[in-house]
Amino acid sequence: MTLFDLLLQQTINGLSLGAMYSLLALGFTLVYGILELINFSHFNVFMVGSFIAMGVLQLFGLAGQDVILTGVPLVGVLLITFAVTMGASGLIGVTIERLSLRPLRGVKGPAAMITTIGVGYILFNIILLTCGADGKNFPNPMPTVRYHLGGATLDLRVIMIWIIALVLMGGLYLFVQKSRIGKAMRATAQDAEAARMMGVDVDRVIMTAFFLGSALAGAGGLIFGLYYNYTSFIIGFTAGLRAFTAAVLGGIGNVPGAMVGGVLIGLIEAFGGQFIATAWTDVIIFSILVLVLVFKPAGLFGQLAPTKS
Amino acid sequence: MITRRDTARLLAGTAATAALGRPAWAADKVVKVGADLSLTGADSENSIRIKNGIVMAIDEANKDHAVKGYTFELSTLDDGTATAGQYDPAQAATNARKMVSDQDIVAAVGPEMSGAGKAMAPILSQGDLATITPSSTNPDITSPKFAEQYRPAGKPIYFRTVTTDAFQGPNMANFMAEKLKIKSVYILDDSGAYGVGLADAYQGQIEKKGVKVLGRDRLDPKAADYTTVLTKIKALNPDALYYGGVGQAGTKLAKQAYDIVPAMIKAGGDGVYGATFLTGVGFPAAEGWYATIASPHLTDDSKAKTFVKEYTARWGFAPTDYAITAYDATLVIIDAVKRVAATGKPVERSAVRDAIQSAKVHTIQGVVSFDANGDLADRTVSVFQIKKDLNGKPDDVSAQYHYIEVAPQV
Repeated sequence: MTLFDLLLQQTINGLSLGAMYSLLALGFTLVYGILELINFSHFNVFMVGSFIAMGVLQLFGLAGQDVILTGVPLVGVLLITFAVTMGASGLIGVTIERLSLRPLRGVKGPAAMITTIGVGYILFNIILLTCGADGKNFPNPMPTVRYHLGGATLDLRVIMIWIIALVLMGGLYLFVQKSRIGKAMRATAQDAEAARMMGVDVDRVIMTAFFLGSALAGAGGLIFGLYYNYTSFIIGFTAGLRAFTAAVLGGIGNVPGAMVGGVLIGLIEAFGGQFIATAWTDVIIFSILVLVLVFKPAGLFGQLAPTKS
Repeated sequence: MITRRDTARLLAGTAATAALGRPAWAADKVVKVGADLSLTGADSENSIRIKNGIVMAIDEANKDHAVKGYTFELSTLDDGTATAGQYDPAQAATNARKMVSDQDIVAAVGPEMSGAGKAMAPILSQGDLATITPSSTNPDITSPKFAEQYRPAGKPIYFRTVTTDAFQGPNMANFMAEKLKIKSVYILDDSGAYGVGLADAYQGQIEKKGVKVLGRDRLDPKAADYTTVLTKIKALNPDALYYGGVGQAGTKLAKQAYDIVPAMIKAGGDGVYGATFLTGVGFPAAEGWYATIASPHLTDDSKAKTFVKEYTARWGFAPTDYAITAYDATLVIIDAVKRVAATGKPVERSAVRDAIQSAKVHTIQGVVSFDANGDLADRTVSVFQIKKDLNGKPDDVSAQYHYIEVAPQV
């Protein structure tokens, strides 16, 4: 493997990590943008999403990586699994909002944020107690196809993640920019009171935001499982920490910022691990985060919210 | 309000129940054997198999009246918790205190995990309660260098029917250098006490054998993605990869290593030996992995035949090698109680500890005796390789792990 091949391979690795983090960061930043609420349960919805996806794939009779599908059956299975996983995760998000966060709306202070931490732990422990602590072999019907770029290898799955991530992110962007509810969401993000006065159903907007964010998290969980052939009760933890960092790095509340932040963190992880050591990855990532925030407190693309009078 | 009549009734009732509850042959004194195992979480599969081994020894001893005038009772405690998802050293410490305060417990078997052992040893030492572990391999707990930390009261109380990582790592290094003839290796650990110790011990020996260590890095067990470090390893192109650590990082490493460095020789310690590794990794990713255990390979041994047959008949699955070392550990305790009873002195824990220290007991793994630190005198490390056996179930350890040989001793 030449140096060029190695750099290319680590770039590919970094970008695939980045796609995962971007997807997670996106749903997270969406909720923050509208509610100014840091929703810590988001990453455990991601984890639950991967278990739901695993259940759906098992219902199709898939187990491990022994059964390979191609063409129409593969697309069909994946579409149905995505639909069910995203729908179920969206519903979980809506339930979380309705039961634990709506009563706290308008309450000043960290009560709502701490509630999301608690909900996150509830989800985490439910999965741990019902499904066990061991890592699960995630059913994956995708064939292993590898393309060679010189000495570097590009797995079909990396391309898949990127296509799906871009489709979902593009879809979300179009939805927020072009649709009526999207406009209502942007209005609520700017000023909830004014939006209400203009006739926007703020409750419905928030519910939609949670549904979309959680559906994205669920999709992320399925992609995670398909990419690593693995899931476990703890995946929300590390992926969550890195995705949260990505969102903050990009400017929390800023959608393109989340995407850029995710890619950046992925690349830092890959190149930091290559040239320094994997043991130092967290130190490197968080040092860079601290540096960025010291010079740009709102993140790379964020704007400090004007203080409301 | 509780009246004096109520209290009298309560006392009378308790006395009557106690009297009636005693079996007819109540002349037998009850001697309790404690057991601390990780029955909740990621290590539960192995713990259950170990527990069954202990139960078999105890039931046999009671059936055969191995020690006249004494009946054995097992008191099991779980050091695994849901929050940790595996063994929890804090829970292990609590269990050790419980065992020490129960005066009927004269000795114990366990713990399964070294992390639990490190927490329990000082407490057991203060309570002068001996324990024999069938599977904990971290050498620090019995090492004289750390005597102040792990046996503050002075006398060894942590005995083993397995050897330690001071041999598991280096003996495997010998095997890989001499038998597999590797010229270069990359070493990884999972940042845990067991993993780091094992990887360090392996590294020390492999360097002595003249094999080049191209690098050493650490995996975060909670992280999902090891492609960065595996790509780095691929670029360096060593002959082999050695992993010191347990399943949480090990399963992910094995899956991803199969994608990135499929042809490389891959090896680990007893952390990659077990049903959890097989099911978590699956085939074809698990194929070809080498694993070691810190004991002789017993389940295929002719001496173990009857034991394996009875065990499988009773519980529906085959025992692991550590289930047999647990059975042997219990035999040592029973023998110690027998010898103390024979002297006519009361069977209490100091005497039992002394008897264990001087034990020479015939067990399935041979004659068990301990050195001055409580370590097993025998230092056998066994090497296995995973080779898919279509006739066996995919999570059947005895079918999928093929025994190769005893690793060359240092």
